Amino acid sequence: MRCDWVRQNILFYVYGELEDDARYEVEQHLARCPECALELKATRKFQATLAEMPVAEPTPNLLAASRMRLQEALETARPGGFWQRLIVEPGVWLRQIRMAPALAAAIFIVGFGGGIGATYNFLANRPVAVSSEEHSDPSRPVESSAITGIRSVTQDPGSNQVNIKYDTVSTQEAQGSLNDRRIQQLLLFAAHNNYNSGVRMDSVDLLTQAPDDSRVREALMYALQNDTNAGVRLKALDGLSGFVRQDSRVKDEVLRALIGDANAGVRMQALRLVEPMKADSNVRSVLTRLAQSDENDSIRSQARAMLAQMPEMD
Amino acid sequence: MPADSYGIAIPVGEMYRPRRAEQEKGNRNPSVRGSLAAQSNRIDDTSLIREAQQGNRSAFEVLVRHYDQSVLRLALHLTGSESDAQDVYQEAFLKAYKNLGSFRFECSFYTWIYRIVTNLCLDHLRKRNVRKEDAPVAVDASGEEYSRLEQFADARSGANPERDLMRRELGRKIGTALSALTPRERMVFELKHYHGLKLRTVGEMLHTTEETAKNTLFRATQKLRAALAEMR
Repeated sequence: MRCDWVRQNILFYVYGELEDDARYEVEQHLARCPECALELKATRKFQATLAEMPVAEPTPNLLAASRMRLQEALETARPGGFWQRLIVEPGVWLRQIRMAPALAAAIFIVGFGGGIGATYNFLANRPVAVSSEEHSDPSRPVESSAITGIRSVTQDPGSNQVNIKYDTVSTQEAQGSLNDRRIQQLLLFAAHNNYNSGVRMDSVDLLTQAPDDSRVREALMYALQNDTNAGVRLKALDGLSGFVRQDSRVKDEVLRALIGDANAGVRMQALRLVEPMKADSNVRSVLTRLAQSDENDSIRSQARAMLAQMPEMD
Repeated sequence: MPADSYGIAIPVGEMYRPRRAEQEKGNRNPSVRGSLAAQSNRIDDTSLIREAQQGNRSAFEVLVRHYDQSVLRLALHLTGSESDAQDVYQEAFLKAYKNLGSFRFECSFYTWIYRIVTNLCLDHLRKRNVRKEDAPVAVDASGEEYSRLEQFADARSGANPERDLMRRELGRKIGTALSALTPRERMVFELKHYHGLKLRTVGEMLHTTEETAKNTLFRATQKLRAALAEMR
Protein backbone atom coordinates (compact mmCIF):
# COMPACT_ATOMS: atom_id res chain seq x y z
CA MET A 1 0.00 0.00 0.00
CA ARG A 2 2.73 2.37 1.00
CA CYS A 3 4.81 1.40 -2.04
CA ASP A 4 1.78 2.12 -4.25
CA TRP A 5 1.45 5.59 -2.84
CA VAL A 6 5.16 6.30 -3.21
CA ARG A 7 5.20 5.04 -6.81
CA GLN A 8 2.33 7.26 -7.70
CA ASN A 9 4.16 10.21 -6.26
CA ILE A 10 7.68 9.62 -7.52
CA LEU A 11 6.92 11.55 -10.69
CA PHE A 12 5.73 14.58 -8.72
CA TYR A 13 8.73 14.21 -6.43
CA VAL A 14 11.02 14.44 -9.43
CA TYR A 15 9.10 17.44 -10.79
CA GLY A 16 9.26 19.21 -7.41
CA GLU A 17 5.49 19.20 -7.05
CA LEU A 18 5.22 17.56 -3.63
CA GLU A 19 4.47 19.35 -0.39
CA ASP A 20 7.32 19.32 2.12
CA ASP A 21 5.83 16.60 4.33
CA ALA A 22 4.98 14.32 1.38
CA ARG A 23 8.46 14.85 -0.04
CA TYR A 24 9.99 13.88 3.29
CA GLU A 25 7.91 10.70 3.42
CA VAL A 26 8.90 9.76 -0.12
CA GLU A 27 12.58 10.33 0.64
CA GLN A 28 12.39 8.26 3.82
CA HIS A 29 10.68 5.43 1.99
CA LEU A 30 13.09 5.50 -0.95
CA ALA A 31 16.02 5.13 1.42
CA ARG A 32 14.53 1.90 2.76
CA CYS A 33 12.77 0.33 -0.23
CA PRO A 34 15.00 -0.84 -3.10
CA GLU A 35 12.02 -1.53 -5.40
CA CYS A 36 10.74 1.99 -5.14
CA ALA A 37 14.29 3.27 -5.53
CA LEU A 38 14.36 1.38 -8.85
CA GLU A 39 11.20 3.19 -9.90
CA LEU A 40 12.86 6.50 -9.09
CA LYS A 41 15.83 5.47 -11.21
CA ALA A 42 13.53 4.54 -14.09
CA THR A 43 11.70 7.87 -13.87
CA ARG A 44 14.96 9.76 -13.95
CA LYS A 45 16.17 7.69 -16.86
CA PHE A 46 12.99 8.54 -18.75
CA GLN A 47 13.59 12.20 -18.08
CA ALA A 48 17.20 11.90 -19.15
CA THR A 49 16.02 10.32 -22.41
CA LEU A 50 13.68 13.22 -23.06
CA ALA A 51 16.41 15.67 -22.17
CA GLU A 52 18.48 14.23 -25.02
CA MET A 53 16.07 15.99 -27.33
CA PRO A 54 15.35 19.40 -25.85
CA VAL A 55 12.89 21.75 -27.46
CA ALA A 56 14.30 23.81 -30.28
CA GLU A 57 14.21 27.55 -29.74
CA PRO A 58 12.45 29.53 -32.44
CA THR A 59 15.02 30.98 -34.80
CA PRO A 60 15.63 34.75 -34.60
CA ASN A 61 14.28 34.99 -38.15
CA LEU A 62 11.03 33.33 -37.21
CA LEU A 63 10.65 35.55 -34.17
CA ALA A 64 11.39 38.71 -36.16
CA ALA A 65 9.00 37.70 -38.94
CA SER A 66 6.26 36.92 -36.41
CA ARG A 67 6.73 40.26 -34.69
CA MET A 68 6.63 42.15 -37.95
CA ARG A 69 3.48 40.39 -39.08
CA LEU A 70 1.79 41.10 -35.75
CA GLN A 71 2.80 44.76 -35.89
CA GLU A 72 1.20 45.13 -39.29
CA ALA A 73 -2.00 43.53 -38.07
CA LEU A 74 -2.08 45.69 -34.93
CA GLU A 75 -2.09 48.82 -37.05
CA THR A 76 -5.54 48.00 -38.34
CA ALA A 77 -6.86 46.21 -35.24
CA ARG A 78 -8.90 48.06 -32.66
CA PRO A 79 -7.84 47.63 -29.07
CA GLY A 80 -10.31 46.44 -26.48
CA GLY A 81 -10.31 49.29 -24.02
CA PHE A 82 -12.69 50.81 -21.52
CA TRP A 83 -15.56 51.40 -23.95
CA GLN A 84 -15.42 47.91 -25.33
CA ARG A 85 -15.57 46.65 -21.76
CA LEU A 86 -18.72 48.64 -21.14
CA ILE A 87 -20.38 47.55 -24.35
CA VAL A 88 -19.31 43.93 -24.31
CA GLU A 89 -19.87 43.35 -20.63
CA PRO A 90 -23.01 44.94 -19.25
CA GLY A 91 -22.19 43.23 -15.96
CA VAL A 92 -19.15 45.45 -15.61
CA TRP A 93 -21.19 48.43 -16.61
CA LEU A 94 -23.75 47.71 -13.93
CA ARG A 95 -21.03 47.14 -11.42
CA GLN A 96 -19.63 50.59 -12.18
CA ILE A 97 -23.00 52.04 -11.30
CA ARG A 98 -23.31 49.92 -8.20
CA MET A 99 -19.84 50.90 -7.11
CA ALA A 100 -20.76 54.57 -7.29
CA PRO A 101 -23.92 55.02 -5.24
CA ALA A 102 -22.91 58.58 -4.48
CA LEU A 103 -22.66 59.33 -8.17
CA ALA A 104 -25.99 57.65 -8.85
CA ALA A 105 -27.59 59.63 -6.01
CA ALA A 106 -26.06 62.86 -7.32
CA ILE A 107 -27.48 62.18 -10.79
CA PHE A 108 -30.94 61.66 -9.28
CA ILE A 109 -30.68 64.80 -7.16
CA VAL A 110 -29.50 66.93 -10.07
CA GLY A 111 -32.30 65.56 -12.24
CA PHE A 112 -34.88 66.14 -9.55
CA GLY A 113 -33.58 69.64 -8.75
CA GLY A 114 -33.51 70.51 -12.45
CA GLY A 115 -37.15 69.44 -12.75
CA ILE A 116 -38.17 71.59 -9.80
CA GLY A 117 -36.19 74.56 -11.16
CA ALA A 118 -37.90 74.26 -14.52
CA THR A 119 -41.33 74.14 -12.86
CA TYR A 120 -40.45 77.18 -10.78
CA ASN A 121 -39.35 79.18 -13.81
CA PHE A 122 -42.52 78.26 -15.62
CA LEU A 123 -44.71 79.29 -12.70
CA ALA A 124 -42.71 82.42 -11.84
CA ASN A 125 -43.28 83.81 -15.30
CA ARG A 126 -47.02 83.54 -14.97
CA PRO A 127 -48.70 86.83 -14.12
CA VAL A 128 -50.51 85.33 -11.11
CA ALA A 129 -47.24 84.69 -9.26
CA VAL A 130 -47.20 87.79 -7.12
CA SER A 131 -45.00 88.50 -4.15
CA SER A 132 -46.86 88.40 -0.88
CA GLU A 133 -45.87 89.06 2.68
CA GLU A 134 -46.60 86.15 4.94
CA HIS A 135 -46.63 86.64 8.64
CA SER A 136 -47.86 83.29 9.80
CA ASP A 137 -46.89 81.52 12.97
CA PRO A 138 -43.06 81.41 12.83
CA SER A 139 -42.91 78.19 14.80
CA ARG A 140 -44.77 76.37 12.08
CA PRO A 141 -42.14 74.90 9.80
CA VAL A 142 -42.46 75.31 6.09
CA GLU A 143 -43.16 72.20 4.06
CA SER A 144 -39.62 71.88 2.70
CA SER A 145 -40.70 70.02 -0.42
CA ALA A 146 -42.83 73.07 -1.25
CA ILE A 147 -39.84 75.44 -1.33
CA THR A 148 -38.50 75.85 -4.82
CA GLY A 149 -35.84 78.45 -4.14
CA ILE A 150 -34.63 81.20 -1.83
CA ARG A 151 -34.58 84.68 -3.30
CA SER A 152 -32.71 86.60 -0.61
CA VAL A 153 -31.51 86.40 2.97
CA THR A 154 -30.96 89.61 4.93
CA GLN A 155 -30.21 90.27 8.55
CA ASP A 156 -31.40 93.46 10.23
CA PRO A 157 -28.27 95.27 11.35
CA GLY A 158 -27.62 95.03 15.08
CA SER A 159 -30.24 92.35 15.75
CA ASN A 160 -30.67 88.67 15.16
CA GLN A 161 -33.76 89.29 13.06
CA VAL A 162 -33.56 87.67 9.68
CA ASN A 163 -35.66 88.29 6.62
CA ILE A 164 -35.87 85.57 4.03
CA LYS A 165 -37.67 85.78 0.70
CA TYR A 166 -38.41 82.37 -0.73
CA ASP A 167 -40.51 80.80 -3.42
CA THR A 168 -43.04 78.09 -3.04
CA VAL A 169 -45.56 78.31 -5.82
CA SER A 170 -45.40 82.07 -5.44
CA THR A 171 -42.76 84.16 -3.66
CA GLN A 172 -43.11 84.23 0.13
CA GLU A 173 -41.30 86.09 2.81
CA ALA A 174 -40.48 85.05 6.35
CA GLN A 175 -39.10 87.11 9.19
CA GLY A 176 -37.89 85.99 12.55
CA SER A 177 -34.94 85.55 14.85
CA LEU A 178 -32.14 83.11 14.20
CA ASN A 179 -33.60 80.83 16.83
CA ASP A 180 -36.86 80.33 14.97
CA ARG A 181 -37.21 76.84 13.60
CA ARG A 182 -38.73 78.13 10.42
CA ILE A 183 -35.89 80.57 9.82
CA GLN A 184 -33.30 77.91 10.58
CA GLN A 185 -34.99 75.53 8.23
CA LEU A 186 -35.00 78.08 5.42
CA LEU A 187 -31.36 78.91 6.02
CA LEU A 188 -30.41 75.24 5.89
CA PHE A 189 -32.39 74.88 2.72
CA ALA A 190 -30.72 77.92 1.24
CA ALA A 191 -27.25 76.70 2.19
CA HIS A 192 -27.89 73.38 0.47
CA ASN A 193 -29.91 74.16 -2.55
CA ASN A 194 -29.85 77.66 -3.83
CA TYR A 195 -28.64 78.38 -7.29
CA ASN A 196 -27.61 81.87 -6.31
CA SER A 197 -24.20 81.85 -4.63
CA GLY A 198 -24.86 85.24 -2.97
CA VAL A 199 -27.83 83.76 -1.14
CA ARG A 200 -25.82 80.71 -0.15
CA MET A 201 -23.09 82.99 1.13
CA ASP A 202 -25.59 84.93 3.27
CA SER A 203 -27.22 81.78 4.63
CA VAL A 204 -23.93 80.12 5.47
CA ASP A 205 -22.80 83.33 7.09
CA LEU A 206 -25.90 83.38 9.31
CA LEU A 207 -25.65 79.70 10.06
CA THR A 208 -22.12 80.16 11.37
CA GLN A 209 -23.71 82.09 14.21
CA ALA A 210 -25.38 78.93 15.46
CA PRO A 211 -23.00 76.09 14.69
CA ASP A 212 -23.86 74.23 17.88
CA ASP A 213 -26.88 72.73 16.21
CA SER A 214 -25.80 69.46 14.63
CA ARG A 215 -27.93 70.12 11.53
CA VAL A 216 -26.24 73.45 11.08
CA ARG A 217 -22.86 71.85 11.41
CA GLU A 218 -23.93 69.27 8.88
CA ALA A 219 -24.96 72.03 6.47
CA LEU A 220 -21.65 73.82 6.93
CA MET A 221 -19.72 70.63 6.24
CA TYR A 222 -21.86 70.04 3.20
CA ALA A 223 -21.18 73.56 1.97
CA LEU A 224 -17.44 73.16 2.57
CA GLN A 225 -17.39 69.96 0.61
CA ASN A 226 -19.76 70.74 -2.21
CA ASP A 227 -20.28 74.43 -2.73
CA THR A 228 -18.97 75.61 -6.06
CA ASN A 229 -18.29 79.07 -4.73
CA ALA A 230 -14.98 79.46 -2.88
CA GLY A 231 -16.34 82.35 -0.80
CA VAL A 232 -19.13 80.14 0.53
CA ARG A 233 -16.66 77.37 1.29
CA LEU A 234 -14.45 79.83 3.12
CA LYS A 235 -17.40 81.05 5.21
CA ALA A 236 -18.37 77.47 6.04
CA LEU A 237 -14.79 76.81 7.10
CA ASP A 238 -14.96 79.81 9.41
CA GLY A 239 -18.16 78.51 10.92
CA LEU A 240 -16.58 75.13 11.57
CA SER A 241 -13.40 76.52 13.08
CA GLY A 242 -14.49 75.98 16.67
CA PHE A 243 -15.26 72.31 16.14
CA VAL A 244 -12.13 70.95 14.51
CA ARG A 245 -10.88 69.71 17.84
CA GLN A 246 -14.06 68.25 19.28
CA ASP A 247 -15.74 66.74 16.24
CA SER A 248 -13.65 64.26 14.30
CA ARG A 249 -16.00 64.48 11.32
CA VAL A 250 -15.37 68.21 11.15
CA LYS A 251 -11.65 67.52 11.36
CA ASP A 252 -11.86 65.00 8.52
CA GLU A 253 -13.84 67.44 6.44
CA VAL A 254 -11.30 70.21 7.00
CA LEU A 255 -8.45 67.82 6.14
CA ARG A 256 -10.27 66.83 2.98
CA ALA A 257 -10.60 70.49 2.04
CA LEU A 258 -6.94 70.96 2.85
CA ILE A 259 -5.94 68.32 0.35
CA GLY A 260 -8.64 68.58 -2.22
CA ASP A 261 -9.99 72.11 -2.36
CA ALA A 262 -9.22 73.79 -5.64
CA ASN A 263 -8.93 77.21 -4.06
CA ALA A 264 -5.63 78.10 -2.40
CA GLY A 265 -7.33 80.59 -0.06
CA VAL A 266 -9.61 77.87 1.29
CA ARG A 267 -6.66 75.52 1.67
CA MET A 268 -4.69 78.21 3.47
CA GLN A 269 -7.57 78.82 5.89
CA ALA A 270 -7.94 75.07 6.48
CA LEU A 271 -4.22 74.91 7.18
CA ARG A 272 -4.65 77.60 9.85
CA LEU A 273 -7.49 75.64 11.43
CA VAL A 274 -5.52 72.43 11.77
CA GLU A 275 -2.37 74.10 13.02
CA PRO A 276 -3.19 73.57 16.72
CA MET A 277 -3.64 69.86 15.96
CA LYS A 278 -0.44 69.23 14.06
CA ALA A 279 0.60 66.43 16.42
CA ASP A 280 -2.40 64.36 15.26
CA SER A 281 -1.15 61.59 12.99
CA ASN A 282 -3.78 62.21 10.30
CA VAL A 283 -3.00 65.90 10.29
CA ARG A 284 0.69 65.11 10.09
CA SER A 285 0.31 62.84 7.11
CA VAL A 286 -1.76 65.48 5.33
CA LEU A 287 0.87 68.10 6.13
CA THR A 288 3.61 65.86 4.77
CA ARG A 289 1.64 65.44 1.58
CA LEU A 290 1.05 69.19 1.29
CA ALA A 291 4.70 69.97 1.99
CA GLN A 292 5.66 67.73 -0.91
CA SER A 293 3.04 68.33 -3.50
CA ASP A 294 0.77 71.31 -2.97
CA GLU A 295 0.89 73.52 -6.02
CA ASN A 296 0.91 76.67 -3.94
CA ASP A 297 4.37 77.77 -2.76
CA SER A 298 3.28 79.43 0.42
CA ILE A 299 1.13 76.46 1.49
CA ARG A 300 4.02 74.13 0.84
CA SER A 301 6.42 76.23 2.86
CA GLN A 302 3.93 76.75 5.67
CA ALA A 303 3.22 73.02 5.88
CA ARG A 304 6.94 72.38 5.95
CA ALA A 305 7.40 74.92 8.72
CA MET A 306 4.61 73.33 10.74
CA LEU A 307 6.14 69.90 10.34
CA ALA A 308 9.52 71.23 11.41
CA GLN A 309 8.09 72.65 14.64
CA MET A 310 6.46 69.41 15.52
CA PRO A 311 7.57 67.53 18.63
CA GLU A 312 9.58 64.38 17.94
CA MET A 313 7.30 61.38 18.16
CA ASP A 314 9.87 58.64 18.63
CA MET B 1 -8.43 37.14 -6.65
CA PRO B 2 -5.98 40.03 -6.48
CA ALA B 3 -3.68 40.54 -9.40
CA ASP B 4 -0.47 39.64 -7.65
CA SER B 5 -1.64 36.72 -5.62
CA TYR B 6 0.39 34.24 -7.56
CA GLY B 7 4.08 34.48 -8.05
CA ILE B 8 4.85 32.98 -11.38
CA ALA B 9 8.03 31.17 -10.71
CA ILE B 10 9.69 31.73 -14.02
CA PRO B 11 11.33 34.89 -15.18
CA VAL B 12 9.01 35.90 -17.97
CA GLY B 13 10.43 37.04 -21.22
CA GLU B 14 13.32 34.68 -21.06
CA MET B 15 13.47 31.03 -21.80
CA TYR B 16 13.31 28.59 -18.98
CA ARG B 17 13.98 24.96 -19.58
CA PRO B 18 14.00 22.52 -16.65
CA ARG B 19 17.63 21.72 -16.12
CA ARG B 20 18.56 18.22 -15.17
CA ALA B 21 20.63 19.29 -12.22
CA GLU B 22 17.70 21.26 -10.92
CA GLN B 23 15.30 18.40 -11.40
CA GLU B 24 17.61 15.96 -9.70
CA LYS B 25 17.80 18.18 -6.68
CA GLY B 26 14.05 17.71 -6.51
CA ASN B 27 13.57 21.31 -7.57
CA ARG B 28 13.44 22.26 -3.92
CA ASN B 29 12.71 25.91 -4.03
CA PRO B 30 11.62 26.96 -7.46
CA SER B 31 9.73 30.00 -6.24
CA VAL B 32 12.99 31.74 -5.40
CA ARG B 33 14.13 31.30 -8.95
CA GLY B 34 13.64 34.50 -10.82
CA SER B 35 11.07 35.70 -8.32
CA LEU B 36 12.59 39.16 -8.16
CA ALA B 37 12.69 39.43 -11.89
CA ALA B 38 9.13 38.16 -12.08
CA GLN B 39 8.01 40.63 -9.46
CA SER B 40 9.51 43.62 -11.18
CA ASN B 41 8.09 42.40 -14.48
CA ARG B 42 4.71 42.13 -12.87
CA ILE B 43 4.88 45.74 -11.69
CA ASP B 44 5.99 46.85 -15.15
CA ASP B 45 3.26 44.76 -16.71
CA THR B 46 0.53 46.31 -14.60
CA SER B 47 1.28 49.82 -15.81
CA LEU B 48 1.84 48.58 -19.36
CA ILE B 49 -1.48 46.74 -19.33
CA ARG B 50 -3.29 49.81 -18.05
CA GLU B 51 -1.71 51.97 -20.72
CA ALA B 52 -2.53 49.42 -23.39
CA GLN B 53 -6.10 49.25 -22.13
CA GLN B 54 -6.32 52.97 -22.68
CA GLY B 55 -5.35 52.43 -26.28
CA ASN B 56 -1.57 52.84 -26.16
CA ARG B 57 -0.39 50.44 -28.85
CA SER B 58 3.31 50.77 -28.12
CA ALA B 59 2.67 49.73 -24.50
CA PHE B 60 0.99 46.62 -25.86
CA GLU B 61 3.96 45.94 -28.14
CA VAL B 62 6.31 46.10 -25.15
CA LEU B 63 4.05 43.63 -23.36
CA VAL B 64 4.17 41.33 -26.38
CA ARG B 65 7.95 41.33 -26.25
CA HIS B 66 7.88 40.18 -22.64
CA TYR B 67 6.06 37.02 -23.59
CA ASP B 68 6.32 36.35 -27.28
CA GLN B 69 9.45 34.24 -27.34
CA SER B 70 8.08 31.65 -24.97
CA VAL B 71 4.72 31.76 -26.71
CA LEU B 72 6.38 31.08 -30.04
CA ARG B 73 8.48 28.30 -28.56
CA LEU B 74 5.41 26.59 -27.12
CA ALA B 75 3.48 26.94 -30.36
CA LEU B 76 6.41 25.70 -32.41
CA HIS B 77 6.92 22.60 -30.30
CA LEU B 78 3.22 21.79 -30.17
CA THR B 79 2.35 22.38 -33.79
CA GLY B 80 5.65 21.21 -35.23
CA SER B 81 5.39 23.74 -38.01
CA GLU B 82 6.83 27.21 -38.31
CA SER B 83 3.92 28.57 -40.25
CA ASP B 84 1.35 27.08 -37.84
CA ALA B 85 3.34 28.44 -34.91
CA GLN B 86 3.35 31.83 -36.55
CA ASP B 87 -0.41 31.64 -37.03
CA VAL B 88 -0.95 30.73 -33.39
CA TYR B 89 1.35 33.58 -32.32
CA GLN B 90 -0.47 36.07 -34.51
CA GLU B 91 -3.93 34.95 -33.52
CA ALA B 92 -3.09 34.83 -29.80
CA PHE B 93 -1.70 38.34 -29.55
CA LEU B 94 -4.39 39.85 -31.76
CA LYS B 95 -7.01 38.20 -29.58
CA ALA B 96 -5.26 39.53 -26.48
CA TYR B 97 -5.19 43.03 -28.00
CA LYS B 98 -8.85 42.97 -28.86
CA ASN B 99 -9.90 41.55 -25.50
CA LEU B 100 -7.50 43.52 -23.34
CA GLY B 101 -10.42 45.53 -21.99
CA SER B 102 -11.80 42.42 -20.35
CA PHE B 103 -8.54 41.68 -18.52
CA ARG B 104 -9.27 42.70 -14.95
CA PHE B 105 -6.14 41.59 -13.11
CA GLU B 106 -7.92 38.60 -11.57
CA CYS B 107 -5.00 36.46 -12.66
CA SER B 108 -1.53 37.33 -13.84
CA PHE B 109 -1.19 38.56 -17.40
CA TYR B 110 1.15 35.63 -17.98
CA THR B 111 -1.60 33.16 -17.11
CA TRP B 112 -4.09 35.11 -19.17
CA ILE B 113 -2.02 35.20 -22.36
CA TYR B 114 -1.05 31.55 -21.94
CA ARG B 115 -4.72 30.65 -21.58
CA ILE B 116 -5.31 32.15 -25.01
CA VAL B 117 -2.28 30.43 -26.51
CA THR B 118 -3.04 27.03 -25.02
CA ASN B 119 -6.64 27.21 -26.25
CA LEU B 120 -5.47 27.95 -29.76
CA CYS B 121 -2.88 25.18 -29.61
CA LEU B 122 -5.44 22.71 -28.26
CA ASP B 123 -7.72 23.55 -31.19
CA HIS B 124 -4.81 23.00 -33.51
CA LEU B 125 -3.93 19.65 -31.92
CA ARG B 126 -7.55 18.50 -32.08
CA LYS B 127 -7.81 19.38 -35.74
CA ARG B 128 -4.58 17.58 -36.44
CA ASN B 129 -5.77 14.50 -34.57
CA VAL B 130 -8.80 14.47 -36.82
CA ARG B 131 -6.52 14.68 -39.86
CA LYS B 132 -4.41 11.86 -38.35
CA GLU B 133 -1.19 13.55 -39.22
CA ASP B 134 1.99 12.46 -37.56
CA ALA B 135 3.87 14.89 -35.43
CA PRO B 136 7.57 14.98 -36.01
CA VAL B 137 7.40 15.99 -39.63
CA ALA B 138 7.30 19.74 -39.85
CA VAL B 139 6.72 22.12 -42.71
CA ASP B 140 8.92 25.17 -42.92
CA ALA B 141 7.94 28.57 -44.15
CA SER B 142 8.74 27.65 -47.75
CA GLY B 143 6.49 24.60 -47.54
CA GLU B 144 9.29 22.05 -47.46
CA GLU B 145 8.90 19.13 -45.06
CA TYR B 146 11.55 18.33 -42.50
CA SER B 147 11.81 16.73 -39.09
CA ARG B 148 12.16 19.29 -36.32
CA LEU B 149 13.79 16.82 -33.96
CA GLU B 150 16.13 15.49 -36.60
CA GLN B 151 17.21 18.96 -37.48
CA PHE B 152 18.01 19.65 -33.89
CA ALA B 153 19.98 16.41 -33.70
CA ASP B 154 22.05 17.57 -36.65
CA ALA B 155 23.02 20.72 -34.92
CA ARG B 156 24.15 18.97 -31.75
CA SER B 157 25.86 15.83 -32.96
CA GLY B 158 28.60 17.45 -34.96
CA ALA B 159 30.74 15.07 -36.96
CA ASN B 160 29.64 11.74 -35.46
CA PRO B 161 27.36 10.10 -38.06
CA GLU B 162 26.52 7.06 -35.94
CA ARG B 163 25.50 9.15 -32.98
CA ASP B 164 23.66 11.42 -35.35
CA LEU B 165 21.64 8.47 -36.63
CA MET B 166 20.77 7.36 -33.10
CA ARG B 167 19.65 10.83 -32.17
CA ARG B 168 17.47 11.05 -35.25
CA GLU B 169 15.92 7.76 -34.33
CA LEU B 170 15.32 8.86 -30.74
CA GLY B 171 13.86 12.17 -31.91
CA ARG B 172 11.42 10.34 -34.16
CA LYS B 173 10.42 8.02 -31.32
CA ILE B 174 9.81 10.87 -28.89
CA GLY B 175 7.87 12.80 -31.50
CA THR B 176 5.66 9.84 -32.28
CA ALA B 177 5.10 9.11 -28.59
CA LEU B 178 4.17 12.74 -27.91
CA SER B 179 1.77 12.89 -30.81
CA ALA B 180 0.01 9.76 -29.54
CA LEU B 181 -1.09 11.62 -26.40
CA THR B 182 -4.51 13.27 -26.24
CA PRO B 183 -4.34 17.04 -26.86
CA ARG B 184 -4.89 17.78 -23.19
CA GLU B 185 -2.27 15.28 -22.01
CA ARG B 186 0.12 16.71 -24.53
CA MET B 187 -0.55 20.24 -23.32
CA VAL B 188 -0.10 19.45 -19.63
CA PHE B 189 3.08 17.50 -20.32
CA GLU B 190 4.41 20.29 -22.51
CA LEU B 191 3.73 23.04 -19.97
CA LYS B 192 5.14 21.03 -17.07
CA HIS B 193 8.06 19.21 -18.62
CA TYR B 194 9.29 21.57 -21.31
CA HIS B 195 8.16 24.90 -19.85
CA GLY B 196 8.72 24.07 -16.19
CA LEU B 197 5.44 25.57 -14.99
CA LYS B 198 3.91 24.65 -11.67
CA LEU B 199 0.93 22.30 -11.98
CA ARG B 200 -1.19 24.85 -10.13
CA THR B 201 -0.47 27.39 -12.87
CA VAL B 202 -1.05 24.77 -15.56
CA GLY B 203 -4.44 24.05 -13.98
CA GLU B 204 -5.33 27.73 -14.01
CA MET B 205 -4.33 28.09 -17.64
CA LEU B 206 -6.41 25.13 -18.69
CA HIS B 207 -9.39 26.09 -16.51
CA THR B 208 -9.04 23.03 -14.35
CA THR B 209 -7.80 22.08 -10.90
CA GLU B 210 -4.26 21.32 -9.87
CA GLU B 211 -5.38 17.81 -8.99
CA THR B 212 -6.73 17.19 -12.50
CA ALA B 213 -3.55 18.57 -14.01
CA LYS B 214 -1.60 16.20 -11.76
CA ASN B 215 -3.61 13.18 -12.90
CA THR B 216 -3.26 14.20 -16.53
CA LEU B 217 0.50 14.58 -16.17
CA PHE B 218 0.69 11.14 -14.54
CA ARG B 219 -1.28 9.53 -17.37
CA ALA B 220 0.76 11.31 -20.03
CA THR B 221 4.03 10.20 -18.47
CA GLN B 222 2.87 6.60 -18.17
CA LYS B 223 1.88 6.56 -21.83
CA LEU B 224 5.16 8.12 -22.94
CA ARG B 225 7.23 5.73 -20.90
CA ALA B 226 5.35 2.77 -22.26
CA ALA B 227 5.66 4.03 -25.84
CA LEU B 228 9.38 4.71 -25.53
CA ALA B 229 10.02 1.36 -23.83
CA GLU B 230 8.24 -0.51 -26.64
CA MET B 231 10.32 1.17 -29.27
CA ARG B 232 13.64 0.36 -27.72
